[in-house]
Amino acid sequence: MTDGAGDATFCLPDLGEGLSEAEIVQWHVAPGDRVVADQPLVTVETDKAVVDIPSPRSGVVDACLGEPGDVIEVGQPLLQFAVEAKRPDAGAVVGALPSAASATPSRVAVPAAVSAAESGVRASPRARQRARELSVSLEAVAGTGPEGVIQVSDVESAAAGAGGGERLGGVRRAMARRMTDAHARVVRATVTGEADVSRWSGTGSPMPRLLRALGAAVAAVPRLNAWFDDRAEMLALQSRVNVGIAMETADGLFVPVLEDVAGRTLESLTSELTHLQDAVARRSIRPDQLKGQTISLSNFGAVAGLHAEMVVVPPQVAIVGSGRVFERVVLADGKPTAAQILPLSISFDHRVVTGVEASTFLMALTTDLENDQ
Amino acid sequence: MAELNLIGAVNLALRRAMSEDERVIVFGEDVGTSGGVFRATEGLLEAFGPDRVLDTPLAETLIGGLAVGVAAQGFRPVAEIQFMGFVYPALDQMVNHASRLRNRTRGRLSCPMVLRAPFGGGVHAPEHHSESTEAIFAHLPGLRVVIPSTPADAYGLLLSAIRDPDPVVFLEPKRLYRMSTEQVEDDGAGVPLDRCTIRRAGGDLTLVSWGASMVEALAAAEMLAEEGATVEVIDVCTLKPLDRATILESVSRTGRLVIVHEAALTAGFGSEIAASVAEAGLFDLRAPVRRVTGWDTVVPLPRLESHYLPDLTRVLTACREVLTYD
Amino acid sequence: MSAAAGFDISHTAYLGPDGKLLRPLPDALAASETLEAFYRRMVLTRTFDAKAIALQRTGRLGTYASSLGQEAVSVGIAHAMTPDDVLLPSFREHGLQIQRGVKPEEILLFWGGDERGSAFSDQPDDFPVCVTVGGHAPQAAGVALAFKLRSEPRAAVCVFGDGASSKGDVYEAMNVAGVWQLPVLFIVTNNQWAISTPRNKQTAAETLAQKAVGAGIRGEQVDGNDVVAVAEVVGAALARARAGEPSLVECLTYRLGDHTTVDDASRYRDDAEVSGWWQKDPIARLRLYLAENSGWDKVKQEALLGQCASQIEAAAESYLATPPAPPEAIFDHLYAELPEPIAAQRAALLEGNSDG
Repeated sequence: MTDGAGDATFCLPDLGEGLSEAEIVQWHVAPGDRVVADQPLVTVETDKAVVDIPSPRSGVVDACLGEPGDVIEVGQPLLQFAVEAKRPDAGAVVGALPSAASATPSRVAVPAAVSAAESGVRASPRARQRARELSVSLEAVAGTGPEGVIQVSDVESAAAGAGGGERLGGVRRAMARRMTDAHARVVRATVTGEADVSRWSGTGSPMPRLLRALGAAVAAVPRLNAWFDDRAEMLALQSRVNVGIAMETADGLFVPVLEDVAGRTLESLTSELTHLQDAVARRSIRPDQLKGQTISLSNFGAVAGLHAEMVVVPPQVAIVGSGRVFERVVLADGKPTAAQILPLSISFDHRVVTGVEASTFLMALTTDLENDQ
Repeated sequence: MAELNLIGAVNLALRRAMSEDERVIVFGEDVGTSGGVFRATEGLLEAFGPDRVLDTPLAETLIGGLAVGVAAQGFRPVAEIQFMGFVYPALDQMVNHASRLRNRTRGRLSCPMVLRAPFGGGVHAPEHHSESTEAIFAHLPGLRVVIPSTPADAYGLLLSAIRDPDPVVFLEPKRLYRMSTEQVEDDGAGVPLDRCTIRRAGGDLTLVSWGASMVEALAAAEMLAEEGATVEVIDVCTLKPLDRATILESVSRTGRLVIVHEAALTAGFGSEIAASVAEAGLFDLRAPVRRVTGWDTVVPLPRLESHYLPDLTRVLTACREVLTYD
Repeated sequence: MSAAAGFDISHTAYLGPDGKLLRPLPDALAASETLEAFYRRMVLTRTFDAKAIALQRTGRLGTYASSLGQEAVSVGIAHAMTPDDVLLPSFREHGLQIQRGVKPEEILLFWGGDERGSAFSDQPDDFPVCVTVGGHAPQAAGVALAFKLRSEPRAAVCVFGDGASSKGDVYEAMNVAGVWQLPVLFIVTNNQWAISTPRNKQTAAETLAQKAVGAGIRGEQVDGNDVVAVAEVVGAALARARAGEPSLVECLTYRLGDHTTVDDASRYRDDAEVSGWWQKDPIARLRLYLAENSGWDKVKQEALLGQCASQIEAAAESYLATPPAPPEAIFDHLYAELPEPIAAQRAALLEGNSDG
């Protein structure tokens, strides 16, 4: 006995023999089950017998309309089929595969943090253990093993304190490493010159004027305000001029950055410079203030000296040095006169900067300084 | 006491085990009438009869499964696979059943079987007859992997393997089958499993190996002794479970470790030893751990085989590098 | 040209799909108590199966393989086996395992993901289900070998499906059984489907029973939905097996459910085919016969349904009330004695867990 195929509601069919109702005994299916025609849906009890009611069609059970014990009349709804619902393909035969709504892309590389100055120390595990035992700082040990690896013997020599002397630490150690690295990589050339600064009014540090002149010189030859990635052979011109300014303290050399000098007034430059000098003197300078130099400036002339070949620290490609202002007799219109001369030096990385570029930069620098009042 | 080679020692152990314990039966291809292609089971059929020594049809999966079934019923089967190269159809029975029958029935059923096979190269054999894939078995939880390198150990370790209540893969280095002889006492004494054996004491370098490579290891130690370095040679014997303690203790004294095995480098069992020492013995090391192994290639056929197997020269080179490191 | 060899595969059936006899029942199985017992056990099997599916659908059981439609095979084999025989089942003979003394809650534990489900507190020798299809056939040969070597009047019974019959393991086992005359009976429950592979794509052999011929042992076929036929044929085959004459019996039946609770068979099978097999239901046909011939009425039916329901409910409750084993149980029964390096791992697990 089947109901009309395709109907969503399946009613209790005529059970024959004059029977008008039946009691539900046991369901064989549950909502969500997929059934086929003739599959027993439910066992019901009539006055005469206990019979299974087969499904009239294939489909998915939506609802079983009655509980065991309920009495259903012939023609009354017994089971509801779902209106065409296909079970989603689980795509498996065993287990339950998790799926995420979204996944973080797996190929995004997290850029490594740029470490300050220090490179890793290579030492054998036994040597490290020995260094710990002897309270020897591995950074101070020279490795004599293969590829410079520090070995136990090296640690033990260091502990014995051969020769005594100052063990470099902190800032001085960082400088030693930085300079070694720069020396290994940069091909340095230097061009020197002089600026006649007789017209400068006032006394005081030439630094603010030098900073401003640097901005002007970079505008003329942007190539000296760049970062060179020598491994990738990529030269990246920097849009801002962030000048690293060499400052000496008892603890060693600091090079804080005065950012974005282009277009700034002398007052602004002076004020910023003072802040940086204070911070360095008080050792309150922050690490982020020591990073990001695009070109450097050393006013070694504040102490003594005229011209110098300076260290260009990668990834920068140039460093400007100013010597001590001195007085000299020069000819003006054929007549001797006294002039204030500011010696200038520009050391540059000749791998990427040419002599002409450096000289042009020098000329722009000199012109700006000489034009100032 | 008899002067026996390794294969003779295997035979003696089988004979001993079968006379002591009627549950011990032997089966495999050609093991009965023919006494085994290497004569490992020679004379056993005559001595113990066809109910204890059975020639199976040519079917390695069957050999593995028979062993599982008969062991679950209380027998102690010693099943032979003719060459390690043919063990792989039985691998299913070992990994999916033998190794886990006890575990999956919570101890109700267990599998006290031994699967023995000749393994390794250096005997000018045709293709597939020089396999050394012991690492596959060592990887499986629930199994033991035992490899003797001397006749006396072949006798004692096989007896222990047969008596062990859990499945043991017993790999016999065929290059050593007839290479040398020694006195083997038929006293029924088993050599303990799960333990490394120090074959030669030394203080400058720890040299770890097993199977046929023990020959090269001991020869290298001898030569290095003349150069002034004392080498401690350890025979692993039971790869799984690994006796890390013995190896670590040795490295703590010598600070240097070289591992030699015929099997290919990548994921060879030397990796497990190296990792174990890196984990637990890092600060004892004065030099990197070196492995001298077969290349990551298919074992070459006899003409080029000598370029594959880790020979004395390669072992010595590695040892000298490690000795001069620090 | 003369024939070098030939073979016949017999087919046995007693009770047709309409509940009418095709031939007289065998004397040993004709008593109404016997038939009613068959009927009860089949209903119990189906009740258990429905409960297991319901538990899976409500997230309280893992993936489960339904035995719907195959109840006569299980009950028939169970009747033929003795307590001394050893069963190596596939993963779809829940009714057979229950008849052999495995507790329904143990079967639920197994599918619920707990090794204790195969510990079988009341059944010492039977093997746990074999998931590596056909892998238990060589093991059955091994068990039979043990019986033969000990001269015991016992047989190993290896039950597997039509898919397994394509496996080399099965052939190797039948082959050695024949040549060594092992006391083992191989039974292939041909339910017409191996996941989505229909029987006619599994092999070119006309029957699965004839695979025995290649192995040199006898093969025969039986209507697997006729519990009487199964009981009789398997009983006779077992008697021969115990005497050292192994054979293969193919039971023709149908997998009315999906391969597992994660499978959806409607993706690869025709509804019309399934409907057709519902009309050959093993339980329905026996009820028709009992109603007609032995006074099976609604009182008895209700009583039976009630008993089965409460028995299975109790088992389900017992299963649900069983907490997982402690984590360190992972290391139990790995070897007879846990080797030291692994004991250290066990300690690490315990320590990690004690940190919360």
